[in-house]
Amino acid sequence: MSHSVLVCDDAIFMRTMISDILAQAGFEIVGEAETGVQAVEKYGQLKPDLVTMDIVMPDMGGIDAVREIIKTDPGAKILMCSAMGQQALVVEAIQAGAKDFVVKPFQPSRVLEAVQRVLG
Amino acid sequence: MDLAQYAELFRSETREHLSVFNQLLLDWERTPDNNEPVDGIFRAVHTVKGMAATMGYAKVADLAHRAENLLDVVRKGHATVSADILELLFRTADALEELVEASVAGQDAGMDLTGLLDRLDEATVREAPPEQRDRPRRRISFVNAPVAVGRKVEVTIRADSALKGARALIVLKRMDALGAVHGIEPAPAAIESETFDGRFAFRVETMVDAQEIEAAVRAAGDVERVTIDDDQGAAGAAATPGPGTAAAAPEPREAAGRTRHIRVDLQRLDTLMNLIGELVTARGRLAALSASSEDAALADVAVKVSQLTQALQAEIIQARMTPVWQVFDRFPRLVRDLSRQLGKQVGFRVEGKEIELDRAVLDEIGDPLVHLLRNAVDHGIEPPGERTAAGKPAEGRVVLSALRERATVAIRVEDDGRGIDREKILLEAKQRGVIDPEVDVLTDDLLVRVLSRAGFSTAREVSDVSGRGVGVDVVATRMRALGGSVEVKSEPGSGTSFTLRLPVTLAIVRALLVRVGDERYALPLTHVAETVELKPDAVTRVEGREALMLRDEVLPLVDLRELLGTSAPAPTRRPVIVLQLGDRRAGLVVDAMTGQQEIVVKSFDPPRGTLPIFSGATILGDGAPVLILDAGGLV
Repeated sequence: MSHSVLVCDDAIFMRTMISDILAQAGFEIVGEAETGVQAVEKYGQLKPDLVTMDIVMPDMGGIDAVREIIKTDPGAKILMCSAMGQQALVVEAIQAGAKDFVVKPFQPSRVLEAVQRVLG
Repeated sequence: MDLAQYAELFRSETREHLSVFNQLLLDWERTPDNNEPVDGIFRAVHTVKGMAATMGYAKVADLAHRAENLLDVVRKGHATVSADILELLFRTADALEELVEASVAGQDAGMDLTGLLDRLDEATVREAPPEQRDRPRRRISFVNAPVAVGRKVEVTIRADSALKGARALIVLKRMDALGAVHGIEPAPAAIESETFDGRFAFRVETMVDAQEIEAAVRAAGDVERVTIDDDQGAAGAAATPGPGTAAAAPEPREAAGRTRHIRVDLQRLDTLMNLIGELVTARGRLAALSASSEDAALADVAVKVSQLTQALQAEIIQARMTPVWQVFDRFPRLVRDLSRQLGKQVGFRVEGKEIELDRAVLDEIGDPLVHLLRNAVDHGIEPPGERTAAGKPAEGRVVLSALRERATVAIRVEDDGRGIDREKILLEAKQRGVIDPEVDVLTDDLLVRVLSRAGFSTAREVSDVSGRGVGVDVVATRMRALGGSVEVKSEPGSGTSFTLRLPVTLAIVRALLVRVGDERYALPLTHVAETVELKPDAVTRVEGREALMLRDEVLPLVDLRELLGTSAPAPTRRPVIVLQLGDRRAGLVVDAMTGQQEIVVKSFDPPRGTLPIFSGATILGDGAPVLILDAGGLV
C-alpha cells in the first residue's frame, strides 16, 4: 500500500509541485492544507503517514502546527519545507518534533530522499 | 523536471500575492502606527521568494529577499513606519510585478534593479534597531556535560547541503534516541549560525556498536563523513563516504482522487465555449428538423440532446464565472497614486467584490473602469481647500460597487465631488451641433448621450491623468460592444455616479426573434421588460416624437421599420417591445415576434455607415445569419 501524504503550504504553486513530485513517486496525496489551522484539522481527520509542512503560513504557522500535531500524535511524521536562510526556524521546528526538512528550491531527488528518511 | 509547466501557475499565484502586498500596504499607509499589516506583507513576499527560487527566477527571488530583510527589521522596530519606507515598498511591489512578468516571458535579463536593491539595503541598515538585530534563538536542548564520556563521533555534513545547522540537529536527535549525547563541538549556538561549515563532533553513551551509530548518523541525511572513536575499548571505525541515503521510491502508482481544484488555461475554456456555441446552433437545427418530421424517435433524441446541451452550457458558463475582485483589486492602488499625484484626499471603498461575471466580460471592463475612476478623482473630487470651503469634508469619497440584478450586473463608480457642469456641456454640445438647439435642460439621459459622443470633453486643461476627450465615449463604446449600457447621474455640488450595466455572460444569451419586412433580427432578452400590442389610440405625440401611453406611463416609441427604411407594406397588427435599460424605457415597434432562442453572440465589424443599433451577429438554428439588435443603441 502506498503511503498517504498531507501537503501543507499556503501557495498552490508549492502544493502542486510537491504533490506532483510525490504522486509521481507513487505516494497518495490524501489532502492539502493552506494554513496551520487547516493542517492540524486535516491531520486529525486523515491521519496521513506523512505531512509536508511549510513554515510560513497564515493563520497559525507551520511550527505551531507541528507542535499541535505532535501533541495529539507524538509519532507524527512531519517533513518541514523551508526557504534558504530559515535555519533558526527549521531548528525550532525540529525541536518541536518535525523529523526532517527540505529546502526550496526543491529538487525532486532531495525531496524523495527526505521523505524516505522520515518514513524509514 | 520541466519547470515550464508551472510557469503559468507561478504567474497567476504571484499576482495574487502581489495584490495582497498592495492591499496591505494601502492599509498600512492609512494607519502607519499600526504595524499589523507587515506580517501579511512579509508572508506574501516570502512566498513569492520561495516560488521564484524554485522556478529559477533569480532576480525575482533576490528582490523579494531584500524586501523581506527590510520588512523583517521594520516589524521588529515597533516604530511608526515612515512615508519613505512605504513609498519604497510600493515601488518594490511595482518592480516585482514587472519583474515577474518579464521573468516568465524570459525577458528579465535586461532589467536593471540595482538602484532599488541598493535603496532596500540602505533602508534595512538604517531601520535596524541599534542593539543587536539577531533574533533571540532557542537553545538546542542537548546539554554539554563537563565530563566527556561515551563514544566520540565526528560528522561532516555534505558541502552542498542547505541549512547545515538544522541538519546537524537532526543527527543529534537521532543520536539522542541511541543514548545520552554530550560534549557537542562547536557549541550549539555556533552550529546554528549561518557560517557553520558542517563539521561537528559529540560523544554518545550507548550500547549499540559503531556500525549502528554510523547507520543512525547517515539516516539523518546529507552526511558526507562519519568517524567514530573508541574511547570505551571497542574498535573505532572510520567510515568512508558511503552511498547516498536515497532509497528507491515506492512503485509508481496512479495518484487517485487527489485533485479537487485544477487551474485551466483560459483559452481552453474559450474553445470549449465556442464548441458549445456551435452545439447550441446545431441543437436548434435538430429541433427544427424533428419538429417538421413525424419520426417519434428523432423527436426523443432531439429532446435529449437539447437537455444535455442546456446542462453542458450551464456548467461551462459557471466555470467561466470569475469574481470581480480579480479586476477591482488593483484599483485601490490606482486611486491612491492618482490622488497623491493630484494633491487630493480621497477615501476609496469597494463593494460587492464577490459578485461574479463571465471572465470574458470581466476582462473587458478593466479599462473603462480606469477611465471612470480617473475622471472621478481628477474631475469629480475637488481639492481639499475647495471642499472645506463648500462645507464638505476635506477627504473626498469614491465608491466602486458591483451589484447583481437578474441577468445583469451593475457596476457603479460614484464620487461626492463637484458634479458635472451641465450648463457648460449643454453650451459645448450646442456649439458642436450634437444636440437640438432648442433643448434647454440637459437630463441625465441626454447627458450620457452627449458625453458618449466620440471626442467630447469639457476638461478645462489636458492633464496626463485624464487626457483629453478620451473617457466616457470610450467607456460607452466598450459597453455597447459588450451588450451593456452606461447611465449617469450627477448633482451639482454633491457628486456624480456612472453605472455600467452588463450581461452576466456574453457568450450565449436568450434572444427574442423579431421580423421587420422580410428580415429577421435577434434582440437579447436582457433588456426586454415586456411586450404589448400597438393600439393606435394609445399613440400620442410628445415634443414632436411618437410616444406610447402604457398604463400611466408615456414611453418614447422607436419604429424599426422607419429606422431601417423598410418599404414592404406593414401588417395591420404590430407588437411593441418595451426595452428597459436601468431607468430608461422605450417601446420598439416591429412587424412580428417569431420566437425565442438561445443565440451565440459573434462580434462583428460593422461597415461604415451602419446604423449604431447592432451589437453583433448570430446564426440561427435554421442556419440563417441575423443581426443582433443593441437595446442601448435603440433606447
